Amino acid sequence: MKKFDLINKYFTNSLTPKEQLLLNDLLQNDKEFKKEFLFEKDLKKSISFNQREELKTKLQSFEHNIQKKSKVISISKKWLVAASIILLIGLGFFFIKSSFYPSPEKLYAQNFKPYRNIIQPIVRGESSNTIEYRAFLAYENNDYHKAINLFNSIDSQDATYVSFYKAMCYLSLDKPSEAISLLLPITMLSNLEGNNKKLSEKADWYLALAYLKTAEKKKAISLFSTIAKHPTITCKKEESKILLEYLN
Amino acid sequence: MIDDNSKNIIELLKRGDDATLHKIYVENREAFIKFSKKFNIDKSDAADIYQDAIIILRENAINGKINNLNSTVSTYLFAIGKYKIYQFHRKNSKVEFNNDILIEEKNIELDVNHYYEKITNQQRAIKKHFSKLGERCKNILILFYYQGYNLDEITEILNYSNKKVLKSQKSRCIKQLKEFMKK
Repeated sequence: MKKFDLINKYFTNSLTPKEQLLLNDLLQNDKEFKKEFLFEKDLKKSISFNQREELKTKLQSFEHNIQKKSKVISISKKWLVAASIILLIGLGFFFIKSSFYPSPEKLYAQNFKPYRNIIQPIVRGESSNTIEYRAFLAYENNDYHKAINLFNSIDSQDATYVSFYKAMCYLSLDKPSEAISLLLPITMLSNLEGNNKKLSEKADWYLALAYLKTAEKKKAISLFSTIAKHPTITCKKEESKILLEYLN
Repeated sequence: MIDDNSKNIIELLKRGDDATLHKIYVENREAFIKFSKKFNIDKSDAADIYQDAIIILRENAINGKINNLNSTVSTYLFAIGKYKIYQFHRKNSKVEFNNDILIEEKNIELDVNHYYEKITNQQRAIKKHFSKLGERCKNILILFYYQGYNLDEITEILNYSNKKVLKSQKSRCIKQLKEFMKK
């Protein structure tokens, strides 16, 4: 065995006791050997320092990444908390509003009732074949599709009551836009008499309700206040006032 | 008993496997920082101590201190960390600590002292010139002098045809290093 192999064995902790003695002897008496041995010992230390520094740098980069990530997370956590609070408040308002201030949709549902038939008295058990009679029969039986078809077949399409009851059918069928286009002209008429006058007085109310349904709140409010303040019309005054309070 | 998994982790630590180091670092970090808080160590100091503890953990894996003992890697890490925290306080405080504060871990044999040696001028010079060596030389020398592999193992790891070739390569590397230092 070469003497320098002893140094390798020393560094791998594999010297036999005999070799250990030999090494000690060489260290005491062989200057060149000792120099080499000490150099390698220093080399080992240097590499250790070097490796520790490298590992330290690596670990610091781990740390850096974790902190960067946790910053992102903590920011998003903050936002999450903020968003949750806003959501809770929002939901709270929503529930409060919906229990104390019903939505226009709900107000509509609470207030809409198709106007009774004041045109064609239907006598049960009596049959008549006029289209008008059959239309109102369907209307009273809540068969609004059939009623619309029959109303459309009536000759006097311009008649206020035809438009009015067709509008009732459309409102009952959740088609407020069609109802609006039928009711709006009626509200414009001022020279009506008799039943038509009665109906035109109701038209404002139903038109306002239709606007509630289509979420045209301003138009609805304007009509409700017209009704509420109207000098002669007495019907639906109180209801309009209540609805105005909810809507404002 | 050290199970296969721990054995594997120790081997990977020895090699300095990035993924393993990262895993250990991430898995124990939070707990260590909390643990340090109990000893009045703030977060940035805790991270620094924690990193040093991991370096020592690796060196203990290299030196075979962990191999034979009945404990998890985390337990070691915390034992080392505790020791480091104690040292940190001793260094940063004028108050002398009583010996009874010295932390002892049952069943754990740790080598933490060599880590605090100061670098000599000669060592600093070697360190500086070592960085100029080629990758091949660096690898051989690190495997041998730091990671504690013997020449047979390195022959295999670095795919040398035989130990003799490796041995002469290693000698040439040292020679080259010495020449760098003469210049």
